[in-house]
Amino acid sequence: MTMSPFDHQPDQELGRMLREQLTGPEPEAFLRRLRIAAAGAERGDQWDVLSDWAQPRFMAMAIAAGMLFWLGAWAAGAVQPAGPGVAMASLPAQTVVTGQAPAVDEFMLAMREGR
Amino acid sequence: MDDAELARAAAGGDPDAFGHLIDRCGLAARRAARAILRDDDDADDAVQEGMLAAWRAIERYDPERPFRPWLMRIVVNAALDARRRGKVRQAEPIVDTLESGGLGPDRMTEASLLRGKIDAGLAQLPERQRIALVLFDAEGWGHADIAVALGVPEGTVRSYVFHARRALRASLGTLAEAMK
Repeated sequence: MTMSPFDHQPDQELGRMLREQLTGPEPEAFLRRLRIAAAGAERGDQWDVLSDWAQPRFMAMAIAAGMLFWLGAWAAGAVQPAGPGVAMASLPAQTVVTGQAPAVDEFMLAMREGR
Repeated sequence: MDDAELARAAAGGDPDAFGHLIDRCGLAARRAARAILRDDDDADDAVQEGMLAAWRAIERYDPERPFRPWLMRIVVNAALDARRRGKVRQAEPIVDTLESGGLGPDRMTEASLLRGKIDAGLAQLPERQRIALVLFDAEGWGHADIAVALGVPEGTVRSYVFHARRALRASLGTLAEAMK
């Protein structure tokens, strides 16, 4: 074994001992295992990366949209029945734009109809 | 076909081409992983993980550059990740798995002692020095390729090899001379 650490050439003897030490048992079986694993593995592409990134965000957006929809539906259900103020807004247009006071019978008609 | 041509064919969807690359590079990758993790099963798992990562990313390999350092970098990173995640079993002496090679009892004892000393010597080296030593002396790689595999400057690789050899020399002592 060349024991000079300054030698810039591979040490054949040390290399042989390291290979014996580190190659491990049943090298052919190990290579076969790797080949089988690679043959069974799907090849990836850039869309895999994108989909990996997108899936959790898509799920989060879907959940957020569902919650907003539910909140909206809940809020709509919690709105008080239309009161007089709303009924006033649905008075005939000319009563709003003419600036004249609405006739009493017209006003009462609108209230009865629940407009 | 050389490595780059096989890698190009593999990138084109030829799994047999990647199988040939496994045959060429698998054992060197295993030795590097065992040098890092010092456990048969952990090393084999890390090499498999690295090989599959390389297979999935083969389109990103630049055929103008050497293939083996590219692959080895992926495998080394897989082994270092396994180490960092603590996904390693209790390390056992790997000398038990070696065959005697038909030596007589005295030579077997000496060989076993030498293997034990190599194992102990490797164990005391920092991981990257270990990898550099294995790739340089056991695999015959040049400093430039090792630098790519480790992601460090070439001068750092020279330093790694220098320090690793010096430490291993101290561990082996005169036993190696007696083996000659």
